[in-house]
Amino acid sequence: MTTAPHPPDPEPAVEPTVEPAVEPEAHDDGPPPAGPLANLGAGLVTLALGVGGVVVSLALGVGTPAQPGSGMWPLVVSVGLVVLSLAQLVVGRAGGDGERFTRHSWMPLVGLATLLGLVALLPVIGFEIPSLLLSLVWMRFLGGESWRTSVVCSLGAVVALYLVFVAALGTNVPHLF
Amino acid sequence: MRLAHRRAVAGATAAVAALTLAACGGNVAGGTGGTEASSEFPSGPVTLTVGQDAGGSTDLIARALADGMSGDLGVSVPVVNRAGANGAVATQEVAGKPADGSNLVLLNASLITITPLAVSEDEAVSLDDVDVLKGLSQDDYVLVASKKSGFEDLDDLRAASGEVTYGTTGVGTGSQLAQAVLFAQAGIEGTSVPFDSGSPALTAVVGDQVQVATIQLGEAKPQIDAGNVVPLLAFSAERNQFLPDVPTAVEEGYDVPVSQYRALAAPKGLPEDVKARLVESVDAAVAEDAYTSFNENNLLTPHEISGEEVVEEWTALAEKYQDLTAEYDISLAE
Amino acid sequence: MDNLQNVMAGFEVVLEPTNLLYCLVGVLIGMLIGVLPGLGPAATIAILLPLTYGIEPVTAIIMLAGIFYGAQYGGTITSVLLRLPGEASSVVTVLDGHALARQGKAGTALGIAAIGSFVGGTVAIVGLTFLAPVVASFALDFGPPEYAALALLGILLVSTIASGARVKALVAAALGLLLATVGRDAFTGTERFTFGSLDLADGIDFVPVAMGLFGLGEILYNLEERHRAVHAPGKVTNVWPSRSDLRESSGAVTRGSVLGFFLGILPGGGATIASMAAYAAEKKRAKDPSRFGKGAIEGVAGPETANNAAATSSFIPLLTLGIPANATMALMFGALLIQGITPGPQLVDQHPELFWGVVNSMYVGNILLLIMSIPLVGVFVRILRVRAAILAPITALITMIGAYTINNSVFDVLLVVVFGAVGYLMKKFGFEPGPLVLAFVLGSLLEESVRRSLLLFGGDPTGFVTRPISAVLLALFVVVAVWPLVQSARRRRPAQAPTPDREEASV
Repeated sequence: MTTAPHPPDPEPAVEPTVEPAVEPEAHDDGPPPAGPLANLGAGLVTLALGVGGVVVSLALGVGTPAQPGSGMWPLVVSVGLVVLSLAQLVVGRAGGDGERFTRHSWMPLVGLATLLGLVALLPVIGFEIPSLLLSLVWMRFLGGESWRTSVVCSLGAVVALYLVFVAALGTNVPHLF
Repeated sequence: MRLAHRRAVAGATAAVAALTLAACGGNVAGGTGGTEASSEFPSGPVTLTVGQDAGGSTDLIARALADGMSGDLGVSVPVVNRAGANGAVATQEVAGKPADGSNLVLLNASLITITPLAVSEDEAVSLDDVDVLKGLSQDDYVLVASKKSGFEDLDDLRAASGEVTYGTTGVGTGSQLAQAVLFAQAGIEGTSVPFDSGSPALTAVVGDQVQVATIQLGEAKPQIDAGNVVPLLAFSAERNQFLPDVPTAVEEGYDVPVSQYRALAAPKGLPEDVKARLVESVDAAVAEDAYTSFNENNLLTPHEISGEEVVEEWTALAEKYQDLTAEYDISLAE
Repeated sequence: MDNLQNVMAGFEVVLEPTNLLYCLVGVLIGMLIGVLPGLGPAATIAILLPLTYGIEPVTAIIMLAGIFYGAQYGGTITSVLLRLPGEASSVVTVLDGHALARQGKAGTALGIAAIGSFVGGTVAIVGLTFLAPVVASFALDFGPPEYAALALLGILLVSTIASGARVKALVAAALGLLLATVGRDAFTGTERFTFGSLDLADGIDFVPVAMGLFGLGEILYNLEERHRAVHAPGKVTNVWPSRSDLRESSGAVTRGSVLGFFLGILPGGGATIASMAAYAAEKKRAKDPSRFGKGAIEGVAGPETANNAAATSSFIPLLTLGIPANATMALMFGALLIQGITPGPQLVDQHPELFWGVVNSMYVGNILLLIMSIPLVGVFVRILRVRAAILAPITALITMIGAYTINNSVFDVLLVVVFGAVGYLMKKFGFEPGPLVLAFVLGSLLEESVRRSLLLFGGDPTGFVTRPISAVLLALFVVVAVWPLVQSARRRRPAQAPTPDREEASV
């Protein structure tokens, strides 16, 4: 039985619940675990931070245990960090936790770039325009929504933000309008 | 289908509404009607920035003042908290704004007179960066002892020299300076225990975790009245009206007048007429009953001197404190 | 007794229509504000302070108090739904609360949180009514050594709370401790790790760290993960906890109330430690601790009860001693001062109707919260059904703008972004943000308390054990640290049982 073709309804933004019963979360396995190289990298980064901390702490002046200087506590913590990082490098040799970067990993990077852009533009032209742009990028390009949904929802979001933060609460967020 | 349609209409209406709000004017630098003419001051809201967290005495003073000024100027005077580095962040921020009267900052004397003794040169804030409009009030420090310590006056404290622990409200504060200088002058040896602010220091002395501490009068008075702490002396130049029975350090023979003063300031280069108008509104605000009873409730002594006098006073104090710490070989930054 | 009469008088005050209305308004505003990340109760109260000028002191404080614990609950909502802890005391709720939300059981989590909060708050109020003076003097006995011991215990609990790789959790905790040292040293005034930035002089605030690591980090991560597998938005199947959930949580709620009440009295940090202690206690008691971190209902019930009880009992030092326990209480202190009332030891005598009016308004407010959360939970949970692609930028924007309102500073917003990136990387590399954030919160408390204690003792550390309370806490620390080792040794002992017999025989 054929039905007359009709244009599909544009997807509503809110999906109605389909099933009444509890559905166990579709257990996707996640990206492949980060290999030993990633664990090594992570361990080295924290080790470097720890060593840096030790250096700075010593420069601050450690004092004596009875009269601790301002560098004493950071030194203790940094040494702890170094020790733990070394332990992690040993223990984590086999890899096995964490995740590998996938081919979609550029998306968070773009997201991060838009966020930094917002921070840069915020004091200059207020939050409305950067927020609108960010939202458009995220919805349309990173999220794959249609132009209409993206524009409508972005505008709605910015207006709502304005109403809440500026009109209702009277906060001091930089705003153009 | 209809849902999306409705959403589109709603979105469009919202967009139109948002654009019409553009007439309201924003608060971005250069976004306000940065007019050449100070003919119509104030043309918009006047933002008062406070360098301390909301709820503290400086913040409350700012809000009380803003209330009164708003009534006189006829525009809103929102108070914005911008805590950081004892007010250095807020002061520097406001000092960098255009000097058109729409941005003010509430100054704490300690930032100018005492903090420079404890931090490096490039972090210290100088009065040269701002135009001081008017002095506001004086908040005195009082040296209190815990009940358990048994101290009743300075002599008791002197007798316990060597065993005394004293709480301060932080490094680079009037509390630290006053006690360090007093103890040096009186020959009392003690261990200074810094806390983060007046409240924990007061709690510590009430609970006898430290034996004495120097606290701002407004914070300490309820405990004094309840008998939980004993006031030993006050660090004001003259006897404080709220503590008439407590001797001052000066009376006891020690030259250590330390008080917290607050004043209103604006970025440097304010046009004369704007300045005059602002000073006028401050005068109107402090004359109101609401403000005077605020001062009384918070045990603040009015100190409404002109901007020039404030600069004189604070500069003299800064020098004095510098001399005192040099003379007694005291380093606030340890 | 005189007291009972006052309590009754207090109820009369609260049930006056104006006060009741302001209570409702306060709780509602508080809940809505609590949902907005970044805008905490302290900021809200600061903004709304002018509203209190024209009304009666009792009414003003009732409204402000309502905002305070309303915001607590609002913070729970974002913790569960969006993995965004609004305050340090909600960090622990995120662990299991959000896990439950991902399983479609957000309603259960929120419902249990509401019920637990109600019970915790009520227990605390009852405690406040009858025990306030006693308990207040107990708070005064807590000096730097006691705080040091408590913070040490807290750090130990941090490692218990972590559910993933042990060593990585410890590394994260160490990073958190190091992060806490950024800023001006409170004892010497030297700048540590600030690299000349004046914005860092006062150190890093908790909120940007939490919002970045938990909130933005998760959002950035989801940008990537979403595309790997089409994520069905969590199907919301139930809006209220089941009877078995309630039964399972009852113990947690009881324990949480007691822990929260006593720890909340301690000025500065009681609520966070209370929530951590409650979580750790539940995890240790559980027959199957591995459930924690994946949606154990006690992991939400315990901490939520504890932090609400703590929030309520933090009023005690303010009302009885005149000492504000945290930033929000300091604002209430200020609000009372503006009204011409000086909180302190004499408040109860001079203004009994104010004291009891406020206390009793908390009962009413808690009931109102519970009643309101029934329909509202359903509303909030629907948020989860919005497609992720749309929800993500909105959440991100609310987070960023909310971060600005913390201290009117763009620097804080930048911090959120930086920590967001860090949070993403941590997730990719298998580090948990929980231990880092909790250690960060406890780090400065630990360092400052230890240094202050050493100053008080003149450099002699034996003082820690000669003071009764700190000795008890340190003993507890040892017990908690050693217990798991004892347990695992005990488990191995049955295999060696024959040997002691032979030894005994030979003796």
